[in-house]
Amino acid sequence: MQIYRFEDKKPFMEKLEELLKSGFTSRQLEIYLPHPDHEIEELVEEYWPKSKLKFITLAGGLSGCSAGFAFTIFTSLDWPLITSGKPLVSIPPYIVIAFELTILFGALFSLGGFLLLSRLPSFKQIFHPEEYGNEFVIKILREET
Amino acid sequence: MSHKDTGVVNQEVNAKSAAQVKDQMERDILAAIKKPKPVYWLGLLITITMTLIGAAAWAYQIKTGMGVAGIRNPVGWGVYITDFVFWVGIAHSGTLISAILFLFRARFRNRFNRSAEAMTVFAVMTAGLFPLIHLGRVWFFYWLFPYPTQRLLWVNFRSPLVWDVFAVSTYFTVSAIFWYIGLVPDIAILRRVRTGWQKLAYAFGSLGWKGTFKQWQHYNQIYKYLAALATPLVLSVHSVVSWDFAMGIIPGWHTTIFAPYFVAGAIFSGMAMVFTLVIPMRKFFRLEKYITVDDFEKAAKLLLFTGMIVGYAYIVEFCLAMYSGNPFERDQFIYRAVGDYAFTYWLMIACNVVTPLTLFVRKLRRNIKYLFIISFFVNIGMWLERFNIVVISLAHDFDPYAWGTYTPSIIEVAITVGSFGWFLTWFLLFSKTLPVLPITELKEEAE
Repeated sequence: MQIYRFEDKKPFMEKLEELLKSGFTSRQLEIYLPHPDHEIEELVEEYWPKSKLKFITLAGGLSGCSAGFAFTIFTSLDWPLITSGKPLVSIPPYIVIAFELTILFGALFSLGGFLLLSRLPSFKQIFHPEEYGNEFVIKILREET
Repeated sequence: MSHKDTGVVNQEVNAKSAAQVKDQMERDILAAIKKPKPVYWLGLLITITMTLIGAAAWAYQIKTGMGVAGIRNPVGWGVYITDFVFWVGIAHSGTLISAILFLFRARFRNRFNRSAEAMTVFAVMTAGLFPLIHLGRVWFFYWLFPYPTQRLLWVNFRSPLVWDVFAVSTYFTVSAIFWYIGLVPDIAILRRVRTGWQKLAYAFGSLGWKGTFKQWQHYNQIYKYLAALATPLVLSVHSVVSWDFAMGIIPGWHTTIFAPYFVAGAIFSGMAMVFTLVIPMRKFFRLEKYITVDDFEKAAKLLLFTGMIVGYAYIVEFCLAMYSGNPFERDQFIYRAVGDYAFTYWLMIACNVVTPLTLFVRKLRRNIKYLFIISFFVNIGMWLERFNIVVISLAHDFDPYAWGTYTPSIIEVAITVGSFGWFLTWFLLFSKTLPVLPITELKEEAE
């Protein structure tokens, strides 16, 4: 296993580009960044796949919206009780509930998806943290390409 | 325009290596959460005492009954509902700063977002108490939630009060998630620099965040999506709160401008609360280098802008009533200006419409002390706005036989004081346990 550590972004990005060009996949390299960086993200995403979180968020939003309508309509029909002379299934007020649940489920699914995709919580890292401070680090896990 | 306060961070990049600058940044920001000074303990003592006064008053109200509050016919909604709307409003600027300004890529947002998000979470926690305080039998509060009961009856989803339950609880959940996600990498920094039990506590808080590229990739995505979800949410929450009133037929409530009017007012009041909290925090924690006068000026422009929307809404509201051809509606607004509550009405106009206009003067906009003072005016003015809407409308509706006035009782005042204590206690605890500025975002900016 080889480790490259950099204080500054520029030499780090040069080395990273060289490794990515020579065909290292996301399983063979581990990259540590002290903070998010759009330049680095753009560079790496030319070679590696993008985050799949968007599909999870979308699934959450859609299920929240349908759950909102399904639940309000079901409960109105389950015990039919006319209030203020309104129709039993009054869609306009139910839009409010469906809207709120779209956001709620979207956010909860995003959180779950984020934890799942980022492998969090990581107990190994909680009890025996591996820290690199403010350095940019590239770790080659496996040499063969 | 002079820029003597900007570019401090950037200048240092040239002198030192990037990693050294970032180390320095961590030290400066984390210095805020070193061992507290006596003045901090004094502040905490005061806020906890205020909270206990409020708690005792609520306990007394539960034991004795709702009669100890000043609310009675015809004014059935008083200070409690005013407080509820006020605190939900305070919450709004947090999401505005963290989500909307994030989507607009406004850089000065990074100076305020952490404390504003914390403020949002604590303000919703405070607001959420008031519907419960307002309940006659608080031990049945769970009736508000739709759950299968033995009576087979479900909640009425056509009622704005049920929308409120959904809107406010969604708001709390989403803003707490948003706040926490932003905190995770910063808590990981605390894990690195602390020792002993604190290290372990922060390690759990950081969920074992490692900072690998893949984690940052997902982090950037979730941050963007949460911002995109929170933006329509924040507009919906105060709209729903406004519909608690607007769906009723009471003159002064039953109007279509309520939703945008409430949302603008919410952001206005929230910005003021950001000033009230961040200005002393910046001074005590010596963060002048990171939160500059320029940043404050930008935030002050936002305060001025939303303040003008609020002023405009007051005029529109008045004109709508005057031209409505509805004598009850017209009479309500004349009553507001010259009736029993004329003092609170004109005080509101002075605080919300007149004083913010002074921010057109650049010198005042850049004067931190002045901003601190004006933030108090706006806080008071926005509280009075809600009081005027809730109370004056109910005091003077259709039938002169049913008119009446309302004065808050000592219990209601004590609970209101308690709510400020509760809110400030949480904020003080936050400021000494978690980074008050988003460290990783500032590092990215310095890069």
